Amino acid sequence: MEFDGTFTIEDVSTEEVWLALSDPVLIKQSLPGCQFLTRVEDPDDVDFDALGEADAEDDPPTLPEADPEDISERAFVEGGHYAALMQLGVGSVKPSFRTVITIDEREFPSMNASGEGSASDSSFEMSSGMTLVDTDEGVDIEWEAEADVFGKVAQMGQRVINPVANRVVNRFFGSVEDRLTEVAEEDDSEGLRDRVRNLL
Amino acid sequence: MSVESVDPDDVDAADILGSAIERREDPALLTGDAEYTDDIQLPGMTHMAVKRSQHAHAKIEGVDTSAAEAMDDVIAVFTAEDVDVPGNLPVGWLLDSLRQVDHPMLAGERVRYQGDATAIVIAEERYAAHDAVDAIDVEYDRLDAATSPNEALNGAPDLHEDAPGNTAFEWEIGDAERTAEAFEEASHTASVDLENQLLIPNAMEPRGAVADYNPSTEELEVAMTTQNPHLHRLLMSGVIDHPEHKLQIRAPDVGGGFGSKIHHYADEALAAWAAKQVERPVKWIATRSETYLTDAQGRGHESHGEIAMDDDGNIVGLQVETEANLGAYLSTFAPAVPTYLYGTLLSGQYDIPAIHCEVTGAFTNVPPVDAYRGAGRPEASYLVERLIHLGAKEMEMDPVEFRRQNFVPDDAFPYQTQVAVVYDSGEYEKTLDRALEMVDYDSFRERQERAREEGKYLGIGFSAYIEACGLAPSELAGQLGAQAGLWESSLVRFHPSGTVTAFCGTSGHGQGHDTTYAQIVANELGIDYEDVDVVEGDTDEIPHGMGTYGSRSAAVGGSSLVKSSQKVVEKAKSIAAHQLEATEDDIEFENGEFHISGAPDRSLHIKEVAQQAYLAHDMPAETEPGLEATSFYDPDNFVFPFGMHAAVVEVNPDTGEIEFEQYVAVDDVGNQINPKIVEGQIHGGVAQGIGQALYEAAEYDENGQLLTGSMQDYAVPKAEHIPEMETDSTVTPSPHNPLGVKGVGEAGTIAAPQAVVNAVVDALEPFDVDHIDMPLKDEKVWRAMRENGGGA
Repeated sequence: MEFDGTFTIEDVSTEEVWLALSDPVLIKQSLPGCQFLTRVEDPDDVDFDALGEADAEDDPPTLPEADPEDISERAFVEGGHYAALMQLGVGSVKPSFRTVITIDEREFPSMNASGEGSASDSSFEMSSGMTLVDTDEGVDIEWEAEADVFGKVAQMGQRVINPVANRVVNRFFGSVEDRLTEVAEEDDSEGLRDRVRNLL
Repeated sequence: MSVESVDPDDVDAADILGSAIERREDPALLTGDAEYTDDIQLPGMTHMAVKRSQHAHAKIEGVDTSAAEAMDDVIAVFTAEDVDVPGNLPVGWLLDSLRQVDHPMLAGERVRYQGDATAIVIAEERYAAHDAVDAIDVEYDRLDAATSPNEALNGAPDLHEDAPGNTAFEWEIGDAERTAEAFEEASHTASVDLENQLLIPNAMEPRGAVADYNPSTEELEVAMTTQNPHLHRLLMSGVIDHPEHKLQIRAPDVGGGFGSKIHHYADEALAAWAAKQVERPVKWIATRSETYLTDAQGRGHESHGEIAMDDDGNIVGLQVETEANLGAYLSTFAPAVPTYLYGTLLSGQYDIPAIHCEVTGAFTNVPPVDAYRGAGRPEASYLVERLIHLGAKEMEMDPVEFRRQNFVPDDAFPYQTQVAVVYDSGEYEKTLDRALEMVDYDSFRERQERAREEGKYLGIGFSAYIEACGLAPSELAGQLGAQAGLWESSLVRFHPSGTVTAFCGTSGHGQGHDTTYAQIVANELGIDYEDVDVVEGDTDEIPHGMGTYGSRSAAVGGSSLVKSSQKVVEKAKSIAAHQLEATEDDIEFENGEFHISGAPDRSLHIKEVAQQAYLAHDMPAETEPGLEATSFYDPDNFVFPFGMHAAVVEVNPDTGEIEFEQYVAVDDVGNQINPKIVEGQIHGGVAQGIGQALYEAAEYDENGQLLTGSMQDYAVPKAEHIPEMETDSTVTPSPHNPLGVKGVGEAGTIAAPQAVVNAVVDALEPFDVDHIDMPLKDEKVWRAMRENGGGA
């Protein structure tokens, strides 16, 4: 299945969007059903139970409170692997997917990632890409994804996968937009912008 | 024309055969008193659940059962490594070129369709078993999947080492050379490329089994959803290596099958094997999702067909190339369905002097494909009748006249076709004429023309179908590759008080055998219908049997009951003669009474004879006490029911929606034992045929994932989708069995699809549409209307 779309966020710069979308903590908080998102060394040997327990600690601050340099430090790394536990309700089933994502390419203003997830009776494989485009109003996030689903989710949910995907994508970008709106409203936003720009 | 059912009490004993009496099995089925497999509860019973592959094609890298084993209420978890018996599901029909492949009941190295079994859990409770299955971790290395035969045969990865190129077999019938010559000399030809889509059978009751093993006697009892208990006993005894005489297979009430409960699946064998492992009863009941994933599917043909005519509109040749989907493994009768049950019916109702058909069977990553209501014959009839429609168009002839001109004439029976079979009897114009009368064809074309002027698109479609039923003459079946004889066995037993139990080796699962068989036996013995009880579906009670499929029960099982009843009457006659002090030649038997010719006062009723036979105080010399008889009846030919169905539809040019104006079914199924049951079979069959024509298809994505895996996604037609049917019948008895019956179980399913498709294509004639593949969904019809520049 292929999905794509463009999400527009007004009154922000590409740099701010880039920083936000580079932050694993913000991504985790914005992704519906995502219980943790942690960098791992070996994608074939991930202890999801241990990661789930470790995640019980409080998240560090994200934008707008966070220091951009802290975000930059924990930002996604090209070639890096990230483990996530994602619970998704699709049709009549609600499996938890143990997911490993690899950042295949990350070069401002584009990022490509691929991954796979598996639950007891279902699994998926996906690849996705995103490019930020500066516009007069703000930033267009042009995104595309290709996904294959297997097992129960495929059997029970293909009919509703499109609406589910749209819901997830919209809630995700909606949440990112909320954060960035807060950034824009911050008094020293100009300062933040400069600092972000400098980082890049 | 609807048949009124009658109370058996209102029918004279002499008229019982042929009466539309109410089905005696219905009260139990309707009130919940019936016993289905899932109703069975045994002390200490455990529950089995099956871990199924989520991939359509993958190597198994590892199966981790530790988490499942550690769960509460889990008794055992088994994988392929634990299987200590052959465990290989056999195929019961061989072809010369067939490549047999392993079909393990638990996949150990590779899974080949979504739903392939990789492990089982035995637990105290059903939900615990399913939860534990979820905890089993199977690691896969995914492979590319192919779900259509054409893909599989053209470069997809091989499913089996023993079948390079995914070719399961190459098969042909007819005369290639003669057919090629006929096409060379022909003045007109027409052709079509079509798909007969994969269907999911959807029996109301899912498959299931309850297995109970007694370690001290080594007796293994398996109650299961089966259409053929004896066959399952034979096959299962080999699969799980259990002696056949210590294995009992029993069919409780079975809620439909449509063919899907003929085959020997892994699950039922696993339940039986597991019961021996845990030494406790094991129950397995498929969830509805599992039936969608694992029940053998039907049809799945991709075909090219051509028809050739001379200048006068006589058909001179027919040729067909078909790629048939067999699914991931060879199911029990799979090789027979797209070959001998298909190619042999390609002459339809027509006198065609040259026919040739080539079929390539393909392994694909879908569940095994096998017999589904009609099994091969719907595929043949659909292709023939679509070609007839196109041939008539090519000749610019009325499709009715084109058919009439090419019918096998009444005086040509028995008729030897060019594709091996000999039609027993037929009067094809009779059903045609009756159908034309019912749809008022004389005025239809004018009405159609007027409607078109008003922008309304009416169409009429005909289906002159034929089928081969009554499987089968055993010798012929053997020559064609069957690994079993297809006779039928029965036992008719008088009890001392004069009532009768009739046992038959067929195994009904909704068809009404309790009623129709009692009608047959009561008629033969001249006793009250109420005094006959019918027993089916238990290998411990019934001498032997081949089961119910292929519309064989009345023709073969019913005939066996006639034969057993006649043997009973013969023995009773000798006893009656002895007691009446007359010679047997002087004894006449009529309406249950034995009397001396010319002296009707001196008589004995067969019930009195039965009592005498068990008292045995005064028997003829050399005659054993008791009154019962067993028969093995082997028919000498198939039977060939036929008929004409016609659909009148209106297609909405703006939306592509199809609305039925009329649906007419005129069937000739030979003599009718119970016309109400015949009518019910036609109704149900037509509903399923219309389901295929308009709604149903098993659809897969490019990874072999089933997209239509639930009742929300797979459109089984509801009552509102089915037109009111007008049914009528003619009667051309079969000369090949004592009842003169031909079989009706599959007629409607075979006949309906092409009636509907021909009607829609006829309606779209102004749009220059020659063919639309089933299912005819609105969007497809709408697109077809626009394809050729919008036509009218």
